[in-house]
Amino acid sequence: MALKDYAAQVLSNRPVAQDIYEMTLRVPELPQIAGAQFVNILLPTREHVLRRPFCICDCDRDAETVTVCYAVVGAGTRILSEIPSGQTLRAMLPLGNGYAPAAGSRIALVGGGMGSAVLPAVARCNPQCAFDAWIGFSDASKVVLEERLRSLCDSVTVTTDNGSAGRRGFVTDALDEALSNARYDAVFACGPEIMYRSLAKVAARHGVPAYVSLEQRMGCGIGACLVCNCKVKRNGEQGYARVCKDGPVFALEEIVL
Amino acid sequence: MSFRQQVEIAGVTLRNPILTASGTFGFGKEYAQFYPLDRLGGICTKGLTLQPRLGNPMPRIAESYGGILNSVGLQNPGIEQYLRTDDLWLKEQDTVVVANIAGSTLEDYVAMGERINDSHADMVELNISCPNVKAGGMAFGVLPESVERVTRAVKDVCRKPIITKLSPNVSCIADNARAAEQGGADAVSLINTLAAMAVDVRTRRPVLANNHGGLSGPCVKPIALKMVWDCYNAVSVPIIGLGGITSYTDVLEFLICGATAVQIGTHNFTYPTAAADIARDLETYLRDSDTDIRDLIGSLILN
Repeated sequence: MALKDYAAQVLSNRPVAQDIYEMTLRVPELPQIAGAQFVNILLPTREHVLRRPFCICDCDRDAETVTVCYAVVGAGTRILSEIPSGQTLRAMLPLGNGYAPAAGSRIALVGGGMGSAVLPAVARCNPQCAFDAWIGFSDASKVVLEERLRSLCDSVTVTTDNGSAGRRGFVTDALDEALSNARYDAVFACGPEIMYRSLAKVAARHGVPAYVSLEQRMGCGIGACLVCNCKVKRNGEQGYARVCKDGPVFALEEIVL
Repeated sequence: MSFRQQVEIAGVTLRNPILTASGTFGFGKEYAQFYPLDRLGGICTKGLTLQPRLGNPMPRIAESYGGILNSVGLQNPGIEQYLRTDDLWLKEQDTVVVANIAGSTLEDYVAMGERINDSHADMVELNISCPNVKAGGMAFGVLPESVERVTRAVKDVCRKPIITKLSPNVSCIADNARAAEQGGADAVSLINTLAAMAVDVRTRRPVLANNHGGLSGPCVKPIALKMVWDCYNAVSVPIIGLGGITSYTDVLEFLICGATAVQIGTHNFTYPTAAADIARDLETYLRDSDTDIRDLIGSLILN
């Protein structure tokens, strides 16, 4: 027995950018969390029978809190955004394999849009490693997590597609440039699939191993129902892996994009 | 003193009438991280086939009001892998194990019925009602004649009690329950999921990659109850009821409509401890009201 469904109290739930919220939950007896693990949150509305999986954006062992950062994209996240402080939500955590690089590693963190939400926890949970972060957004109104990452990383580079904040262009182009000038033991990235396609080329060009966090519609969140697969190739054979249990972190080279 | 929560199905004693439904509970290992499985009357395994199956493309799940649609398509590691890695572990969990088996052809079902003899499973649930596979599956579950034929074919070779799982996507489920009984089923379970669709209005495409899937969850409970009652009046073998159960009072409704035991499915996703919680609540109710569960079964009083 290792997993628990917690009664988590909402400490704060506030907008941090256009249609983007940060929610902090107090989880009594918060268990040990690895970077890039996720929490499966039950909405308080009874008609929604599926939980919503969110990557753990940040955590605080002493305060027994976890923070999730989410965009309002549908009915579920709309409901979540309207939950007041003080309310209790059911939360299963920590789920998934997580990402724990070897101590002493220097890691390039790359976030595409809301994928950036997983990066602070990766840095927080691996204090024995060094991190630089590149986070890309569509425009200035969507930029989040820059300050939080600055407190955890040696450097943070922001890019926007239209140049309205930070550097203009794609985050993978900025990474490409950086990898030409500095050595990293690995790249850890979270973002849309199209970013992973670019990242695969960049990582291969510089000979750096890349790890990515995937998302998929989930059922149980713990590996039992087999609805959230991704396609992987292992030992030359293609098959499915469960994003919730075998992932959400995979070596980029084993994923069939 | 008449408190009793044990039930018996085909000579197998369940410590309580709560089982978990096939496809929602894997082979039990994931949920055993939340509670010991011996709190349950039993578990039904993920549907097993002769060969490993990859299942359908993603997305395989969609949410609807009070329910979900799934189109997993019987992804499973195959019976041989199950026998190697899950069978013994499940036996050690001290709960009744119901192996759910499926096939594409009659020969598949017969081969599965034979091979499952080598497992430690206490019972076999015949999955002839999966709406998510093209060949077999529900093809065997629609017409009463084929329900009877596939049940008999497996019964002839399988030494374990057979539960035929019935599809609600038929013209008269009671006819199919009768056909299963005629074919030698020791029990019937119902309902499997209802054929259903969800649409993304932005893309005008079905949400599920398979276009359609099976609906389950609280929204189907009234349909399941009516079907259980209909079948209770059609057969004398025990009925295992399922469809949208989320509480011990839901269980009571199924028992009153004629179910001897029930399965918890979708609710495991909402609350990972759901099945154990419902078993605990039911026990409390039966104890406090000093009720013998057998007095509830089929006790519906029609208006």
